[in-house]
Amino acid sequence: MADTAAVSHGHGTGTGLSNNKLLMWVFLGSECLLFGGLISTYLIYRSRFGDGPAPGDIFDIPFTSVSSFVLLMSSLTMVLALAALQRGDIRNNRVWLLTTALLGSLFIGGQVYEFTTFVREGLGYTTSPFSSAFFTLTGFHGVHVSLGILMLMSLLISSLRGTLTRERSETVEIVGLYWHFVDVVWIFIFTVIYLVPSPTS
Amino acid sequence: MLALSGCASNAPLDTLEPQGPISRSIDSLSDPIFLVAGIVFVIIFGATAVIWWKFRDDHSTDEFPEQIHGNFRVEIGWTIGPAVIMAVIAVFALISHFELNSSDRTDIQVAVDGTATSWDPEIVVVGQQWWWEFRYYFDGLDGVDLSDPRNLPPADIVTANQMVIPTGSEIGLSITSRDVIHSFWIPALNGKRDAVPRRVSPWKIEAEVPGLYFGQCTEFCGLSHSRMRMQTVAMEPADFQAWVDRQMRPAVEPNRAAAQRGREVFEGQCARCHVVNGVNDDTSRGADLVANAAPNLTHLMSRTTYAGGIFNLYESDGTLNRPQLEAWLRNAPAEKPAYAEGRRGMPAMGLSEGQIDDVVAYLQTLGEAPTLDIIAATEVE
Amino acid sequence: MTETMELEAPARPLGAYTRPKANTGWRDWVTTIDHKKIGILYGAAAMVFFIIGGIEALLIRLQLATPDGTVLGADTYNRVFTMHGVTMVFLVIMPLAAAFANYLLPLQVGARDVAFPRLNALSFWIFLAGAVFLNMSWIFGDAPDGGWFAYAPNTGMVFSPGKGMDFYAIGLQITGIASLISAMNLIVTVLNMRAPGMTLFKMPVFTWMILVVQFLLLFAIPVITVALFLLMFDRNFGSNFFNPEMGADPLLWQHLFWIFGHPEVYILILPSFGIISEVIPTFSRKPLFGYPFMVFSGIAIGFMGWGVWAHHMFVSGIGPISVAAFSVSTMFIAVPTGVKILNWLATMWGGRIWFNTPMLFASGVVSMFTIGGLSGVTHSLAPADTQQTDTYYIVAHFHYVIFGGALLGIFAGFYFWWPKVFGHLLSDKLGKWNFWLMLVGFNMTFGPMHILGLQGMSRRIDSYSPGFGFEFWNMFATIGAFIIALGVLAFIVNVVMSARRARHEPPVGLDPWDARSLEWFTPNPTPVHNFDDDIQVEALDEFWHRKYGEDENGKVVRVASAEEVCQDGSATDTHLPSPSYWPVVLAAGLPFVGLGLIYTLWLCVPGAVLILMAIYGWSFEPVDDPDGPHGHHHDHGGDELVDGGSGATPAEETAEEAPVG
Repeated sequence: MADTAAVSHGHGTGTGLSNNKLLMWVFLGSECLLFGGLISTYLIYRSRFGDGPAPGDIFDIPFTSVSSFVLLMSSLTMVLALAALQRGDIRNNRVWLLTTALLGSLFIGGQVYEFTTFVREGLGYTTSPFSSAFFTLTGFHGVHVSLGILMLMSLLISSLRGTLTRERSETVEIVGLYWHFVDVVWIFIFTVIYLVPSPTS
Repeated sequence: MLALSGCASNAPLDTLEPQGPISRSIDSLSDPIFLVAGIVFVIIFGATAVIWWKFRDDHSTDEFPEQIHGNFRVEIGWTIGPAVIMAVIAVFALISHFELNSSDRTDIQVAVDGTATSWDPEIVVVGQQWWWEFRYYFDGLDGVDLSDPRNLPPADIVTANQMVIPTGSEIGLSITSRDVIHSFWIPALNGKRDAVPRRVSPWKIEAEVPGLYFGQCTEFCGLSHSRMRMQTVAMEPADFQAWVDRQMRPAVEPNRAAAQRGREVFEGQCARCHVVNGVNDDTSRGADLVANAAPNLTHLMSRTTYAGGIFNLYESDGTLNRPQLEAWLRNAPAEKPAYAEGRRGMPAMGLSEGQIDDVVAYLQTLGEAPTLDIIAATEVE
Repeated sequence: MTETMELEAPARPLGAYTRPKANTGWRDWVTTIDHKKIGILYGAAAMVFFIIGGIEALLIRLQLATPDGTVLGADTYNRVFTMHGVTMVFLVIMPLAAAFANYLLPLQVGARDVAFPRLNALSFWIFLAGAVFLNMSWIFGDAPDGGWFAYAPNTGMVFSPGKGMDFYAIGLQITGIASLISAMNLIVTVLNMRAPGMTLFKMPVFTWMILVVQFLLLFAIPVITVALFLLMFDRNFGSNFFNPEMGADPLLWQHLFWIFGHPEVYILILPSFGIISEVIPTFSRKPLFGYPFMVFSGIAIGFMGWGVWAHHMFVSGIGPISVAAFSVSTMFIAVPTGVKILNWLATMWGGRIWFNTPMLFASGVVSMFTIGGLSGVTHSLAPADTQQTDTYYIVAHFHYVIFGGALLGIFAGFYFWWPKVFGHLLSDKLGKWNFWLMLVGFNMTFGPMHILGLQGMSRRIDSYSPGFGFEFWNMFATIGAFIIALGVLAFIVNVVMSARRARHEPPVGLDPWDARSLEWFTPNPTPVHNFDDDIQVEALDEFWHRKYGEDENGKVVRVASAEEVCQDGSATDTHLPSPSYWPVVLAAGLPFVGLGLIYTLWLCVPGAVLILMAIYGWSFEPVDDPDGPHGHHHDHGGDELVDGGSGATPAEETAEEAPVG
C-alpha cells in the first residue's frame, strides 16, 4: 500500500520506480515546458537585434563548443559516480561527484566569461529582444546548473559524513537524472542557439 | 434569443442586423450555426426533461434498473456523428473565413485638389489611448512606411473619431496602434480586428447605405477603454467627394474677435498636442510629432462626436452642444478619466471662462457642419 | 522483517527540530500533513476567496446595472474586474478542485496518503501565501488592473507604472509553485500507490480526471511561469520581451499566456466532470455509461487542449492560415466533450433517479455546460468570432462553463462527500434552496449576456452609455447576481445549521448513498489512518460489487450489508507520518520575498531566512516524533530533493509491507 523510497513492491500496480525517482521524472517533464517556452521565445527573437550586435556577429562557437564539451563530460563523470557507489566504492564515488561539480563549475565559469565578453562588446540584457531572450534562456539554464552543483556538493558532504552509502545510491541516481537533464537541455540550446546559422547584421 | 434581441428598440452596435455585405456574409454563416446550436440545445434539454419526468424515483419499487455498462456502437456513433457534423461546418466556416480575409477592392476615382486620382481605397486606422485616428493617402499605401506609428508619413487627410467612407466600395483598412493593443469594430459592417503597436493588420469595411455606423474599442486598453468609441460615416460617392474637398482645405482665418482670441489660446496651449492644418502643421518640424498626442482639429465641426467618439458635438436641431463642449474644455479628466501627465488623455487646461468662450468660438470656425441626417443618426440619447 | 538503517541521527541539531505532536486545535491544522485535513484547508480557504470574488462580482453588477454607473470609478472598476477574474480562476475553482483531489484521490485509489505528505502541506500553504499576497495589493491601494489576462504592452511599466501588475505576476508565480508541486505529488500517488489489483482502468472516473488535470498542470504551469518571468523582467529590469518600441512582439505574451490559458480551462472543468461522473451513477442506481469512452474522452480533451490556444487570438492579427488551423482544431475539441454529455444522459436514462441535492447539481452541470459548450462551438467559427469575441457573448459562454459547469459540479461534490468528510449530511431541504436559487440566479445573470454580447456590448467596460439598448438586460443580470448571492448564503446557512444539528444527532453511519467507489469502505467521517487493511481490487466500482451481485435472471441482488463490507476504522495503532512545521514556515517566507521585490529588497532578507531555515529544518527533521507510537514503518514522505535530501532521514526500507495503512 504505502510506498517507501525503495522500489515499489507488493501491489503490482505501481510503475516499478520508487516514489522519489518517479517524482524526479515528473518534475523533469515540467522542466521541458519551462525550457520549451524560453527556447521558443529565443527562436522568435533571434533576428530582432535592433541596432545592437546580431547573434552571428557575436557568438564564439569554438569557445562555446569547448564549454559544451566540458558539460557533456560532466555527465560522464556523473555516471561514473553512480556506478562507483552502486558497487560500494565510496572513495571513487566522492572523486567523481567532486569532478562532476568541478566540471559544472567550469562550465558556469565559461558562461560568466562569455556573458561579460558580450556585455563589453555591446550586447547587454536590455539591448534588444534578441539579447533579452538570449541572456534569459542561458541564464535560466545556468541557474539550473548551479542548483545542480549545490546538490552535488550536498551529496559530497553527506558522503564525507558517512551517510551516503551503497544502499542510498538511488539518491545519487536521482540527482544524476537532474544533472543529465540539464546537460541535454544544454545540447538543445547549444544546437538551436549557436550551431544553427544565426542572422548577422 | 433572436426574438428577444429584437426587443431592443435601439441597438446601434447590434451584430445581428448586418448592414453591409461583409457583415452579412458573417451573419449568413453564424445564423445557421445558431440554429444548429439551438436544435442541439432543444434535443439535450428535451432528453433531460424526459429523464427528469420518466426516470425519477417515485418509490414505487426498490428494484434496480438494468445495469447497462455502455453500448460500444452507440458511443462510436455519437463520437463519429458529431465529428462529421463538425467537419461539414468546418468547410463552410473555412470558405467564409478565407473570403473574409481576402480583399477585392476596386479603385475609386477621387479628385484630390482638383486632380483626378485613381485611389486604391485604403485607410490607415491608428488606435491610441483613448481615441482613433484615420489617415487617408490618396496615392495608395505602396511606399507608405507604416512601421513607426509615431512617425507616420504626412497624409492627405488626418481626421479622428469618425471615419468617412463612400458607399458601395470595399475599403481596405490598415490598422495599427501607437501604444497598447486596441480593437477596431463597427459591428454593423464587419467583425473586429486588433490594433497592435508596431504591426499593421489588414482588414476591410464596406457600407451600402449612407448613414452613421457605431463602433467601440473592443480590446481592453486601460483606464478609458469603455470611452474609446468611433463611428463610420458612409456617404454617397458624390458627397464623399465633397467631403474630401472640404477636408483638404486648411483652416480658415477667423475674423471674429472672440475666435481670434480663441486662436491665440489654441496656439499657446492646445497646439502642444492638437494640430490645425495651416496653423501648426509645419511638416519641416514633423507635424505628426505633435499630432500623435491628440486629434487633428482642422475640421472638427465636420464631425458629430469628439473625445473618443463619446460626446455629441451637436444637438438634434443642429446647434452646437455647448454645455458639453465647455465642460470638456473646462476639465476634461472629469468628463473622461485620463492620465494626462503621461500624455494619455486630455488634461484640465486651467482655462478661464472667458478663454473657454473664446476657444469655443475658434473651434466653431474649424470645418463645416455635416448634414442634419448625420447629426440625427449620431444621437444616442 | 523491518530493517532500518539509522545512520546518523543528529539528536537535536542546532535547536529543537522535533516533529510537532498536536492533533487537536489550531496547531494541528497548521502542522498537519494529512491529505484529508489539507483538503479541508483548501476547501475552506477557497470558499473565503469565493466570497471575496463574489463581492467583486456584485460590485461589477452594481456598477453595470444602469448606464453611466457611478458606483465605481473607471480605475477602481478595472481593478475589481481584474481581481474578480484572478480570484475566481486561481483562488477559488482551482483550490476547490484541489480540495476534492486531496481528500479523495488517496482514498479512491486505496492509499493511506499521497506520495509526499509534507510536500502536500507545502502546496497548500504556498497557495495560501500567494492568495493572501495577491489580495494584499488591495491594502496597498494598488490592486492589479490589467485584466486577468494581463495583455502586453498595457501591463508593461510604461502603461502600468504602479505596483499592481507586480503583485499580479509575483502572486501568480507563488500560486503556480503550489499547483506544480501538487501536480507532481498526485501523479506519483496515482501511478505508484494504487491498491492491490487496481489497474488504471479500474480507477474511478474522478481519479482519472484528476490525473489528466495534474498532467495538464505539470505542463501548463511552466509556460505561464515563463510568461510571468518575462513580464517581471520587462517591468523591473528593462528587458525587451513585450516592448514594441524595441522591436518586440506584444503577441508573444498572448501566445505564452494562452498556451497556458487554454489547458487551464480544462484544468478548471475536468475535476467537476469527474465529480459528476461519480454522483450521477450513484443516484441513477446504474453504472456510468461507457466508462472507457469517458476515460478516453478525458484524455483526448487533455491532449487536444494543447492545440487550440489561438482561438483566443482570432482577431489579434496572427494571419488567416493560423486562424483557420485553430478554428478547425477548436471545432473538433467539441467532440470528446459532447461524448461526455451524451454518456451522462445515457447513464441517467433508464435509471431510478433520486433527485436529491447532489444529483440536482450534477444534472445542472450537464444542462448548463451544454449551453456553454454550444456557445463555445459558435465561437469556434473564426468569422463568427470576429463579431463575438471581446463581447458579453463570450462572458456568457465562459460563465456557463465555469459557473454552470465547474462550480455546480463542485457543489454536487460538497453535498455528496460532506458525510464522508464531516460525518453528517448537509440538509437536503436547504440544499434544494441552495441549488434552485443558484440555478435561477445564474441563468438570470448570464443568460441575457448572450443577448447583450450579440447586441454589441463590449467586455471590460466600466460603463455604457444609454441609447445602445443595454439597459434592460444589465439590470436583469444584476438582479440575478443577487439571487446567486442568496443561493450562496443558503449554502453557508446549510453548513452551519447542519453542523449544529449534527452535534445532537447520531452520526450518519456507513455508506449513506449506497455508493460505488473505494472511499466509502471507511466509516464516516474517514478515520485519520484511512483504511484498516489494504483492499484487494478486482473490478471497477469494487465497493459496489462487494455489496451487490446478480441472481440467475441477471437482476441485481444485495449480497452483503454495509456493515459486512465496510471497514470499522479500528486499526488506530497504524503508524502515521508525523506533522511538520516546515511547510508553513517555508510558505510564510514567500510573501516577504514578494513584497521585498516590489518595495524594498531588505524585505527579501527575512523571507529568504524563513525559506532557507525551513529547507534546512525539513531536510534534517527526524522522520517520526521519537516519542510517538511505533507501528509498522511506512512512507517517510520521500526523500526531499532539495540539497540532495541528506541528513537523518533513514535509508529506504526493505521491509515486507505489513498490511496496515
